Amino acid sequence: MVSEAPVSDQHTIDAALAGDQAAWDALVARFSGRLWSVVRAYGLSAADAADAVQGTWLRLVENLHTIRDPDRIGSWLLTTARREASLLSRRNRGERLIADPAATEHADSGPPRAGHVHPDPALTVLSADEGRRLWRAVEAMHEPCRSLLLLMATAPDAGVHQLAGRLGMPSGSYGPTRGRCLNRLRTMLTAQEAQP
Amino acid sequence: MTRHPPAIDDESLVAALRLAAGRDPVPAHILAAARAVFGLRVPGAAAAVPTATAAPLGVRSAEEARLLRFTAADLTVELEVTSVDGLVDLAGQVSPLPEAGTTVEVRTPHLTQSREVSATGQFAVTGLPPGWFSVVCRRPGHYPVVTSWTRIRP
Repeated sequence: MVSEAPVSDQHTIDAALAGDQAAWDALVARFSGRLWSVVRAYGLSAADAADAVQGTWLRLVENLHTIRDPDRIGSWLLTTARREASLLSRRNRGERLIADPAATEHADSGPPRAGHVHPDPALTVLSADEGRRLWRAVEAMHEPCRSLLLLMATAPDAGVHQLAGRLGMPSGSYGPTRGRCLNRLRTMLTAQEAQP
Repeated sequence: MTRHPPAIDDESLVAALRLAAGRDPVPAHILAAARAVFGLRVPGAAAAVPTATAAPLGVRSAEEARLLRFTAADLTVELEVTSVDGLVDLAGQVSPLPEAGTTVEVRTPHLTQSREVSATGQFAVTGLPPGWFSVVCRRPGHYPVVTSWTRIRP
């Protein structure tokens, strides 16, 4: 299900800048899966996720001519999508209580500046091999982590109560357990990376 | 030699797991909307970027108007945002005072409303769906000016 991430070459960007819809469509096809996954990982509803992804493409249309390095377009898109998703997620939790949208929403959600692009290696270059490696690591984990991560990844629309119920744990335990499981997985991946 | 991969945050890890699981495919309408975004570019336009406006005084409430200001080299567009019944009303001001024949297009990704700008530089659009907005200002003999896309929600 995970495709290789081909380098987004200068030719595609130049063609899009020259008005070639097919070149733009190629960028959309190449990056939409990653953008969708990253905004959904912020726990956004389908409607909010759609809003965040659309905003990301709108920002790219505005800023395509400023992206000097075509290899960074994936990082740029993911960084932008994460900002949009994070803003919406904070807003949904009632944290958006600041008066001046120009100084807050927009400044936060604006295009990432050169040098401030989150590298996001896990997603930008997530290949089929790395995806399988990720899941092999999950399968090697103990319970409840193995089931929790599997359920979380394969039931993206399930709420906390539903997930906790299916795992047989109190709803209040789900968040902290998930955090511990993700930490453990991160440690395993880091250990693998460190091996020659 | 040990490599130190950059720390992956929770959201990236969750996204990577889901992407690799392939169980949350991108809905077709998301792809269609992303392709359609290309039709919204305004070639040759000057960008008007958001600039801070003075924070309103007093207690904020849901009914309170918000002011957005966008500036390009020779043009400022201000938008006063109010919402009624979940829809968005925009009252705009173009400055300096525009010459006759100046028009604006208030755009969402799905629809565009065109207005003549009054002699005092004002325009208004009502009853728009919340979401992403951008305004294009066209003055005779000038490049168009287009404001950055901004999310407006009631």
